[in-house]
Formats: sequence, C-alpha cells, structure tokens
Amino acid sequence: MAATTKGDAGRSDMPEAMGAGIRIVAWNVLSLAIALVIWQLASRAVGSPFFPAPMQIVDAFIQLATRGDTTGHSLWEHSWASIERVLVGFGLGVIFAVPLGLLMGLYPKLYAGTRAVIEPFRFIPPIAWIPLAIIFFSGLTRFAFLIFLGAFFPIFTSTLVGVARVEPIHRKVGIVHGASKLWILRHVVIPTVMPDIMAGMRVGLGTAWLTIVAAELAGGISTGLGRMMINYAELIMVPHVIVGMLLIGLIGFLMNEVLLLIERRLFRWRWQVSL
Amino acid sequence: MHAPISLAKVDVDASHRYGPLTVHDGLKFSVAANEFICICGPSGCGKTTLLDMLAGILVPSSGHVHIDGTPANPKKHSISFVFQEPSTFPWLTVSENVATGLNIKGAPSDQVRSKVASIIDIVGLKGFEDYYPHQISGGMKQRVAIARAFATEADLILMDEPFVSLDQPTREHMQREVLDIWRHMKRTVIFVTHNLEEAVYLADRVLILSAKPARIVAELPIPLQHPRDPLSTEFTEIRSKCVQWLHASH
Repeated sequence: MAATTKGDAGRSDMPEAMGAGIRIVAWNVLSLAIALVIWQLASRAVGSPFFPAPMQIVDAFIQLATRGDTTGHSLWEHSWASIERVLVGFGLGVIFAVPLGLLMGLYPKLYAGTRAVIEPFRFIPPIAWIPLAIIFFSGLTRFAFLIFLGAFFPIFTSTLVGVARVEPIHRKVGIVHGASKLWILRHVVIPTVMPDIMAGMRVGLGTAWLTIVAAELAGGISTGLGRMMINYAELIMVPHVIVGMLLIGLIGFLMNEVLLLIERRLFRWRWQVSL
Repeated sequence: MHAPISLAKVDVDASHRYGPLTVHDGLKFSVAANEFICICGPSGCGKTTLLDMLAGILVPSSGHVHIDGTPANPKKHSISFVFQEPSTFPWLTVSENVATGLNIKGAPSDQVRSKVASIIDIVGLKGFEDYYPHQISGGMKQRVAIARAFATEADLILMDEPFVSLDQPTREHMQREVLDIWRHMKRTVIFVTHNLEEAVYLADRVLILSAKPARIVAELPIPLQHPRDPLSTEFTEIRSKCVQWLHASH
C-alpha cells in the first residue's frame, strides 16, 4: 500500500483506490458475461432439456419470483426461511463460541483439561447430526441447532488460537499502569483477537450455509431453498433447481460481503484485510 | 505542568532467583524523590528483572522494593514504564495510544484530551494524532510510548533502554526531549541503558551493576549542569570513570 500523505491518513488515497475498484468491477462483469456466453453455447450444442440455457434459468426465476412454486410458496418465503435459520443458528454460534474461545484461550489449562470432550465433536460433521436433530427437534429449532453446530467450531477455534497471539508487551502496558483484568480483556485481548474472530465467523458462515441446504434437503419441512430444490428435482425441472443453487450462492456471497465490510470498518488500523 | 503531589522515593533491598539462577543477590540502593538515575551494567545482568520488580509486577524472592515506604504496586502507586521493544497498540491512533494510561486511571475525558494534546506537542507528534502506528516510523512510535508514559504524570517513570532502536540523531533529540519533560514535570526517573554516554548525559547519578548475580558496584553522582556537553573535559572524565567501573564489574 502506498504511504499516505500528512494530515488525513488513509483518506487521501481514496480516488486512486476508487479507480482500481471500478476496474475490478469491470473485469468481473466481463468474466461473468464470458461465462454466460460459454454456458449458452454449450447448452445449444448439447440440445437437451436437462441442460438448460441461461435464459431458461431467468424464465424459471421470474416464474418462481412472481407466481411462486407448485406448493404455493413464493421464492422469497423459501429464501427467507433459509436465511432466518442461518441467522439464528449462526448468531447462537457466535454468542457461545466467542466467550468460550476467549475463556479457554485465557486459561489454557481449562482447554487442555477438557480437550478430550471438546475436540471429538469438532470432527462430527454437522450433517451427521441431521438424523438426531430430526428425532429431537422440529421447525426452526432443528435448523438452528444444526447450523449452530456448523458455525460454532470455526469461530471457537480461531478465537482460541487468536488469544495466544496477544503480545505479552501489550498486556504489560496495561499491568504497569494498574489496569484490571477486565480492562486488559476489553482493551488488549479483544482488539488483538478480533481479526481472528471475524475470520472464524466467515468460515463459520460458510459452514452454516452448507449445513442449511443439506438439512433442508433431508426433508420434514415445506419451506427453504433446499426444500424447493428437492421438490423441483423430483419433477425433473432442472432450471428451477438451478435457480435455487444460484440463489444459495448469491445469498452466501452477500452475507460474506457484509462481514467483509464490517471487517474493513473495524480494522482500519491494519495494512489490509485478507480475503 | 503541575507541581508534584506525591514524591516517589524508591528503596530497594532485594534478591531474586528463577529456580537455581540467582539474578540479584542483595541488590541495595535508593533513589530520592525527583531524582533521575541511570542504571548501567553488562548484558544479562538482570536489568529487566530489576525494572519488573520496581514496577511491582514481580515480587522479589527475598527482601523488598518499596516506593514511599510500601511495596511497589502498580494499582496503588503511580508508575509509568517505557519499554525497550515497540509497545504501542496497533489498533489505536497516536492520540488514543497516548491516552491509554490516563484512561486506565479513569481520568475525565476533557482532562485526557487536554493532557494528550499538550504531551503530543512536547514530543513533537503534533499533526500525527490520528495516524495509526503502522503509518509512522519506529522512532515516532517510541515517542508515542514515551508520551504515553509521561501523560499520566506518574510519580515514578521507569525506562528500559527506550532509545536503543533509534538512530543517533533521533536518539540525541529524544534524550534532550526527555530531559526537557523531566525538568518540566520533575518526576522520579529510573532509566536503564547500556550506553554510558547516555547515562552520563542524562542522570543525576549513575549506578553500575555487576554481572549476575547483580549487585551495585559503583554509584557515581554527576554534578554537571544541564545541558551537558559530551565533549567537555568534566564529562569525559566522569564517563571514563564509569567505563572503568563497568569493566571492573565483569
């Protein structure tokens, strides 16, 4: 990154950064257009109803968005059902994983003494919990539980690891000035760990989104993008299935962008935010 | 600046060992209130351990480190510390960093603002208040750390080779600045350095430590007026006396 001029750090290089941003957007639009053209050509070459062209996807999208699906649920109902489940489960994951990660990071003996309990759970994929979740829970609770499991470990582990990154000298600055433990937690530990927490949250969000679709595919409910896709797959209506897939990709992407935006605001003090 | 309210008088008579390793063996000295002393010694003589004891974050294995008659305690005594290594918080701006000590002490925000502004002016960081540490040079970061230490107007200021990472001109500049701040504010300063010239330039009194287990081998008062001229005969005489003691201490 270029050195900033005196007076207004980080803001004086805005026009340059904006120019670069526009160029990047242009490149992305171009590559998207090329991908669509290749798709269209390939579909025409194959000429099968199981390989729809982009325009058919658009038609299916318009149909789903304006008239809803075969069961009478609108596309927005399906999307919102999935998003709500993810937000609730992910939120619970953050609420539990961050304090627990901080606690165990600050008291490594606590973690060392409970590893045998915690770690095996990490290696049970959330999807493997689906059968139990179907027995024990229904509705929103079932999904919130599964997504919680998917989001918890990435956030917990990165928080735990982040605490180890706290510089002893930064703690010492607090201690020599007579700071309390709480002050050090708030003003030294949390700012240091924050980038790791955010990185863990982005990984956790990815896992959460992955889990929701799998959980909805498993059935038992009438809404959700996964549900909608499986309905259309049974009818062998490929374009509608693909609409579901693309929406899942788009919503996941947008959620990640929101987290990145928050990161950029929070970490203005860093050289750059990694991808 | 304000007149000092509490006058930190330091009294050390301590031994410290880490397991079988004796770092200090009956280290005994005292520092008068408002005195500026420099401590010199060979590498690895336990200067950091000594400073940690003075800061009250390390309790000696035996003996005591008293400030105004009670054991050193960062929550009770007003102590500031300038570290050798970079110690600014990268997530805070220059002025937020300087305000850290004041915020810990719970100073009211308008008072924090005015004190931070005046100390930033003294250390020559005016115009850089809103910069983050990664945007300024190493020397400037160290000035931020020094400003942070002086902003609290602590009664006792401990400095652990604070200028070791600076180039010569910056170092000389900072030495003059620290003396200037000290003359403004009149605090007790204990300054650890490897550099004898620095010690003779700054201190009212220089203490020479021996190699481990460390004890005081010499106490040399520096009866020269500030600003001192390192090229004057009196200066070089005292300096060479220090060198002799330091060599004898090995």
